[in-house]
Amino acid sequence: MLHMQIIIGLISIGFFIVTFEFIRKRYLREEYAILWLLTSLAIAILSLWPGLIDIISRITGFYYITAILIVIFVFLIAILMHYSIVISRIKDINKELVQRYALLEYKIKELEEKNKPK
Amino acid sequence: MEYNRKIAVIIPAFNEEKSIGEVVQGIKNLGRDFDAIVINDNSTDRTAEVARLAGAIVIELPCNLGIGGAVQTGYKFATQRGYDACIQVDGDGQHPTEQIPRLIQTLFDEGYDMVIGSRFVTDREYEISFMRLLGIKILSFFLRITTGMDIKDTTSGFRAINRRVMDFFALEYPQDYPEPESLVFAHKKGLRVKEIPTRMSGRMYGKSSITPVLSAYYMVKVMLAMFIDLFKK
Repeated sequence: MLHMQIIIGLISIGFFIVTFEFIRKRYLREEYAILWLLTSLAIAILSLWPGLIDIISRITGFYYITAILIVIFVFLIAILMHYSIVISRIKDINKELVQRYALLEYKIKELEEKNKPK
Repeated sequence: MEYNRKIAVIIPAFNEEKSIGEVVQGIKNLGRDFDAIVINDNSTDRTAEVARLAGAIVIELPCNLGIGGAVQTGYKFATQRGYDACIQVDGDGQHPTEQIPRLIQTLFDEGYDMVIGSRFVTDREYEISFMRLLGIKILSFFLRITTGMDIKDTTSGFRAINRRVMDFFALEYPQDYPEPESLVFAHKKGLRVKEIPTRMSGRMYGKSSITPVLSAYYMVKVMLAMFIDLFKK
């Protein structure tokens, strides 16, 4: 039990450091990193306080490992859905920007043409 | 035909250097009411140059957006510049430019919001593949049972729209399968849509973007997109 606690604790610390590094190097925006920081925090709490699992099991009625796997699976699906939404929004914004850029560029060329010294 | 109205002929083009010149020339021949507006969808060939030399207004997208995004750029341009109507024409030459006035005439004289030039008319020059025909029939049937619209050629990109629809499409235009999906949009907006037969020629150059192998998969995706459009806010 202690072994497992140490391993899980190390995982959570590793996870936290990686997330922190990614934010520091600006690979990740804080907005999206909060989820991962909270995830590492949740893992850390579970490793420091194994009794919490029992309490959660009693409250939710999830006693089996399969049930826990389902919870994890749902969590991952929710994250993927979240990213699909983010990507869709970014694609939309990108389209609007590309269109506006093209129209402005045409307008600039047109104005330059008009103001050319004859 | 003299309407004294400004009509934007919107030509989305991706690598069409071989055919674009002829298309633009065909539009120039229609007279002063018509402006050829080529939306160059980040082509890697000389499409923009050829179109400009032929006398078109050329708007160049810095990234490839696909046909929906390209056509919508044209609608935005035409809306900003106060055009009275738009007509979309493919850059590959499959839509005969001399038929443009007929579509515009139907739009103005009969008071429709959208007029579609359909390719269903006997013509020895234009032979349609069986798979394509089947796909078009299925889409047409799907559109009828979901919206009640009677459109035979749902994937035709040869279509004219009036100012009211331009304003709407400039703000919101389907990006994935624009031709069939915009019909669902039109239905939801309560627009008057008319389909008229036109003579079309086979693509002058290049291949259609829809290959027979992928058409079944394409059909499912299109119908799904159309179905979802029905429920979009």
